[in-house]
Amino acid sequence: MKKPNVVITGMGAISAAGANLTETLDTFQRGQANKKPVFEHRMSTLILALCAVDEALDDAELKKDIEDFRVGVCLGTTVASQLNDVDFYRSYRSTGKASMDSVDRFLKGNLAQAVANTIKAKGPCVTVVNACSSGADAIGVALSWLMNGECDIAIAGGADELNRIPICGFGALGIVSESLCAPFDRDRKGLNLGEGAGILVLEKETCARKRGRKSVLYLAGYGASADAYHLTAPRPDGTGLEAALNRALAEAHIMAQDICFVNAHGTATRDNDKVEGIALERVFGKDIKVLSTKGFTGHTLAGAGGLEAVFTGAALLEGWIPASVGFEHQDEEIPITPVTEKTHIQGSFAVSTSLAFGGNNAAIVIGKKRWN
Amino acid sequence: MNVAGIGVVFSGGRGISSYDDALKHGWTKPEDSGYHVKKESIIDKRFLDKIRRADRFSKMAVLASADAVADSAINLNKKKSSLGIIVSTAFGPHVTTFRFLDDILEYGDRNASPTTFSHSVHNAAASYISSVLESRGPTITLTQFAFSFHQALILARAWLYEERCEYVLVGSVDECGTVMEYICSQKLRIAEDGRIKPFNFLETPVAVPGDGSVFFLMTREKSHKKYCEITAVSLNDKSVEKNKQDMCILDADGMTGDEREYQKAAESGVCISGYSPIFGSMMTGSGFGCAAGALMLKNQMRYACPVQDNPHNINICAKTEPAQIQRISCIRYNGREEKAVIKLKN
Repeated sequence: MKKPNVVITGMGAISAAGANLTETLDTFQRGQANKKPVFEHRMSTLILALCAVDEALDDAELKKDIEDFRVGVCLGTTVASQLNDVDFYRSYRSTGKASMDSVDRFLKGNLAQAVANTIKAKGPCVTVVNACSSGADAIGVALSWLMNGECDIAIAGGADELNRIPICGFGALGIVSESLCAPFDRDRKGLNLGEGAGILVLEKETCARKRGRKSVLYLAGYGASADAYHLTAPRPDGTGLEAALNRALAEAHIMAQDICFVNAHGTATRDNDKVEGIALERVFGKDIKVLSTKGFTGHTLAGAGGLEAVFTGAALLEGWIPASVGFEHQDEEIPITPVTEKTHIQGSFAVSTSLAFGGNNAAIVIGKKRWN
Repeated sequence: MNVAGIGVVFSGGRGISSYDDALKHGWTKPEDSGYHVKKESIIDKRFLDKIRRADRFSKMAVLASADAVADSAINLNKKKSSLGIIVSTAFGPHVTTFRFLDDILEYGDRNASPTTFSHSVHNAAASYISSVLESRGPTITLTQFAFSFHQALILARAWLYEERCEYVLVGSVDECGTVMEYICSQKLRIAEDGRIKPFNFLETPVAVPGDGSVFFLMTREKSHKKYCEITAVSLNDKSVEKNKQDMCILDADGMTGDEREYQKAAESGVCISGYSPIFGSMMTGSGFGCAAGALMLKNQMRYACPVQDNPHNINICAKTEPAQIQRISCIRYNGREEKAVIKLKN
C-alpha cells in the first residue's frame, strides 16, 4: 500500500528544562542540569499537556483552522489514567463513603479526550497507557492513523504530572536516586522522577501543503516490540529494543549508518542503561552519538517519549545535541559512550528510544529534509 | 479484517462455548451484587508458572487472550514477532491500584509493595499476555472509556493493513471491585432485580455492574476467517449507517447514562437485540456484544434478547432460532450523543 508522507509541522515541550522549546534549548545549550533530583511543576497532567499542545499548535499555525480538518488526538499518560486519589480512598476506607468529586474529575479527565474537547478536535481520540513508552507509542499510533486515513492531522505525544503515587511506587522499586541522575554512568544510582509534556503535530504532507505549511521534519518510522520477559525488568540481551529499532529503521527505509544520533531512554537505572547500551551498540556500533536528556528533565514517565521526540526533532533542526548531563565515568558493561559536551551533528535521521514496564520497547525515526 | 478466534471470560464462565451456551440459555439473575467473574474461571494450571503473581485483572485478560489464540487453531509459535497485542480498558487494574493505596495508608509512603505497584499500571495485563504467548510483536494498552474497544479495533485494522503485524490479538478487560461497585452505586441507577433493560431507552437507565474480558484474534487472511469479517468501525460517521443490516445489537447497559439515543437505531425496523444482561454493565462491554454478533454469523442463528422488556414495542429478537444473517451492526452510545458502530459481515 502507498503510504503517505507524515511531516512534523509543530512541536511543544514543557519540563524542568523549560516551559517551552525555546527555553529548553537554552537550557540544553548551557548544559545546565537540574539542581534537585525531583523535578516538578506541580501542575496537573492535563495542564501540562495543554501547555505543550498550545505551543505545538502555534508552531503549526493550526489554532484558527483546527475545525476544518480531521484532527486526531493520541496522547500517552500513566498518572492521569489511574483512579488513585488518596483522599477519596482514605475516606472510603474509613467510612464506607466518599465524595464523588475526584471520580467526576477522573471521568472527565481522559487525557486525549480532554485535550480534544479543549481544542475542538473532531478526529479519532485515544489515550495510550503503555507506562513509560506511552508517549512514543502514542506517536506510533498517530502515525498509523495518518497512514490509514483515519485523520489528516494528529496531535501526539505524552504527558505526566508527578504526584505521590509514582513517587511511592518507584521508591518502593528501589530505583530512585537520592542524587542527580547519571544516565549510562558507571556509578549511576537510579532515576530522578520528573514531570512534563512533549507534543508533535503530525500531518499528511498533502494536508500540510494545502495549508501552505512547509516542514523540514518528518516522522520516518516507528517500531515497537515486546520483551515477553518480565513485568519490570528489561530482557537482558537487549533483543527487544533491537527489534523495535530494526522495525523503525525498516519503516523509514534507511540503514543504521544513516542515523546521526540517538536520543536514548537512558533513565540511569542499572538495568535500563545496560540493556539499552547493549542494544544500541549492536544496531549502530559503539561510536554512535548518544545522549540521554533525563539529566535535564528527570524521568517524566509517559511524557518522556513525547518530550524526547520533540528534542530529537529540534536537534536535527539545530544541528547539535546537548551534553548527556550526569555522565562522567564509562561503565565497562555498557559498550556505548554518551556525548559529554554540546556536539555538532550532521545527517538527516535520528532515533528516539523508549523502554517501559511490561517490556515495551519503542523507537521513533525522525528525518530532516528540504521541501521539494 | 477477519475474526479467526475468540476468547471470553465472563460471569457465566470461560471460553467461547460457555458464552455461546449462555446466549442460548438466556438471562440468569447474577448470584451476587453484579456479574462478577468467578474465582474458578481464572484458574488454569497450564499458565500457573507465568501468571502466579498476576492480579485478577491480568489473569482475566491472559486467559481470554490465550483462549482466542487456541480457538483459532493457528500455530503462532513460529510467528512470535508477527503478532500484535492491543488491550483496551476503561478503568485498568483499579483494584490493585487501591491495594497499593492500602499499602501507603497502612505502612507509609516508603513501605509500599513494589510488586503491587508494578501490577497497578494499566499495561501489566498486556505484559503478561505477551509473556504467556511468547509474543515479541508490538503491544499497546489504551483507554477511552465507552469507546476503548472501538479505538482498539481501529488500531488493529491499521496495524494489519499497514502490515505492521500479520495477526492482532485485540480485546478488552475491566474489573469491578468493591470500590467500583460503590462508585457505580453513587453514579448510576442500579437495578434492584438484577435485570439490565437495554430497550427502555431511558435518560437514567438501570445498570448491573459486571466484569470480564474478551479477546479476538484478527487477521487479513480470509482462509483464517472462523467467525466473520469486521468491515467497518466508525465513530460518529453517519455514512456507515447506509448499508442495510440484518440485525442490530445495541450495547445499552446503563453504564454510560442517557440511553435515549438508542431509540433512533431501534426504530429503523431492523431486528434489534442486546446482550448486556448476559455479562453485565461495562464501559468496555462492546467487545462482548461484538462476540455475540460473531457467534450468530458463524452459527447462522439468532439469539433471543435475554431481557425482553419492550415498552416502545420495537422489533426485538424474541426467539432463539436459525436465521440467514449476512450483516450485523453493533452500536454503542456514550451518553453524550456520540456513537460508535462496529459492522460485522458473514
